[in-house]
Amino acid sequence: MPVFPSVEWFEALKNIVNSSPEFRHNGTIDTVVGVKAGGKIFELTFEAFECERVREATEDDLRDMDFWMEQDDETWKAMIENIKTHGKADLAFTLNTLDLSQAGEGLCRSHDGYRRDAFYRFNQSIQDFFDASAKIDTQFAAAVA
Amino acid sequence: MADAATIPENLRAKAQEKGWPDDLLQQALAAGASPDQLISYMDRGISAEQARQVMAGQQGAAAAAAPAATVPAATAAVVAAVTISDELRAAAEKANWPLDLVEQAVGIGASEADLLNYMNMGVTADQAREFMQQQAGGASPFEPDLSWMNVPTEWNTRARPTKHGLTLDAINIGKYGDVPDVWPFQTEMPRGAVPIPGVEGMGYSIFEKQEVWSDACAPLYEEAIQRRWRPATDVPWDSIQPLPDDLERAICQICTHISEKEQNEADILGRWEPEISYGYHEVKLYLATTIFENARAVEVFRKRALSNGGGLGVQSSGWGFRSVVDARNFTEMSTIQMVLHDSITLGQYIYGEKYAKNAAEKFIFAHSIQDKARHIAYGITHLKYALLNRPERREEVQRYLDKGETMLVQDDRKDPSTRAAFAIYFGGGKDNIGEGLRIYDEMRGRALRQYLARLKWATLDRTERLHPDLKAVLEAAS
Repeated sequence: MPVFPSVEWFEALKNIVNSSPEFRHNGTIDTVVGVKAGGKIFELTFEAFECERVREATEDDLRDMDFWMEQDDETWKAMIENIKTHGKADLAFTLNTLDLSQAGEGLCRSHDGYRRDAFYRFNQSIQDFFDASAKIDTQFAAAVA
Repeated sequence: MADAATIPENLRAKAQEKGWPDDLLQQALAAGASPDQLISYMDRGISAEQARQVMAGQQGAAAAAAPAATVPAATAAVVAAVTISDELRAAAEKANWPLDLVEQAVGIGASEADLLNYMNMGVTADQAREFMQQQAGGASPFEPDLSWMNVPTEWNTRARPTKHGLTLDAINIGKYGDVPDVWPFQTEMPRGAVPIPGVEGMGYSIFEKQEVWSDACAPLYEEAIQRRWRPATDVPWDSIQPLPDDLERAICQICTHISEKEQNEADILGRWEPEISYGYHEVKLYLATTIFENARAVEVFRKRALSNGGGLGVQSSGWGFRSVVDARNFTEMSTIQMVLHDSITLGQYIYGEKYAKNAAEKFIFAHSIQDKARHIAYGITHLKYALLNRPERREEVQRYLDKGETMLVQDDRKDPSTRAAFAIYFGGGKDNIGEGLRIYDEMRGRALRQYLARLKWATLDRTERLHPDLKAVLEAAS
């Protein structure tokens, strides 16, 4: 059972969306996305119609990403559980809604005022990527659980 | 003259109907007239007597007057029977058309009005003669001109598909990918083709790259094409359930407002499309997708308004629209529309997504977010390109934004319906409008913060110059 957060967990989502006609139906997605969770940083590279690469990254790598998503571990867990329960994020747990629900900078952050907008331009594809977690059983790392 | 020619059955039948005897037919055919031409003369009312007279008495003179190689003797003979008005005669003299050519044209059925038009349009006598020769199936056979096959364009071009398919960027190779700083052609000649002289201009007015260009427009075009969606069937319309009256009225007013401004953007971009010369076709193509997406927004928000027992609301005050409509150059228009206004609209979409009352509204706002963010991406990357290439335009752009923000503030002051509708929608009803107004102000603050961040990316710092009312919104929200 993949553990969130881990490269293995993101690889599982990558494999699901890369074989999904629905994900391809969203259209091309070209962006490099960071995820900060459980004290770790992950880099997701999307190119053309698929998730090209998943790897663990460092704080310095964030500068080269279009944007990264950061929220407390409790909210990450609630989001993933919500997706599992409903088959996809319900009205209260979409990435955009979570972005607006947090005080301060929000879920989506960036060093670049233009590249941050990739979060909006490819929003549905990124949402579908996380919604794919409904198809796996997630075990939460101790830092998140 | 050749031996007595064989008379085809259809010509003989027509001749019997019109009273042309066989010997006249044979004489005309032997002189080079075709059966179809003779049938045509009969249909135009030329009698056998008229034909015989000119064949007998004027054939020599007519043949001498017309280029023998181009006009069959019978044709020359027949046309000699026509009369030319004084007006046409004078016009022909002025246009250097020989009288025999005019007679020939009238003789084969051209109207005086058409001939006067051709002369006034500058059609030369040689052009007219060539055209008539082709129409009449004249003596010289048509020989295809294949000189175009030796056109000196860049040949052996083999673009290859990428992971994204065969994209605009993928075919922008060699000379075809060379986008000049100034495009020198006023015609619709594609970039990389070879111009020919004499082609009429198409009325373009934008010939400088810095006026419209963005390095992102080709990939943005592909992205827009790939990420399209279909309101009629993709939106889960069945998820919409009856809402309390105040909420239904609020979302219908929001839909009215959005439909109106998306249509306005489509109309404005549609007016600018024909101004951009063909050298920058990537820009023209991208703007076409933007217009399409504006149309889709008009469609989907109108559909939402009319799908749940409500209807449309009141129109907007329109101050902001005018600041875009009145723009006098492209960068002014795109900066106000696609950076300032679209940043505000994107803010409305992302908050609309958060406070959506059902899956249909969630879907509509979420997909509109993607489209609108793409519009902004073009607006801001073009602005950056313009400022980097024409740094002296910096103050000019600041002034455009001064105007744009001022009109936006006017809308805030004169259009209470939009603000109240969003507040009721966000707050969940009239009874909670106070909380809704707080969220509305938060939305405006966030949109303005992102607007300033985008401008900063485009090398334009507007933090201090922001309109005082908007600055107050920003400060209140932070």
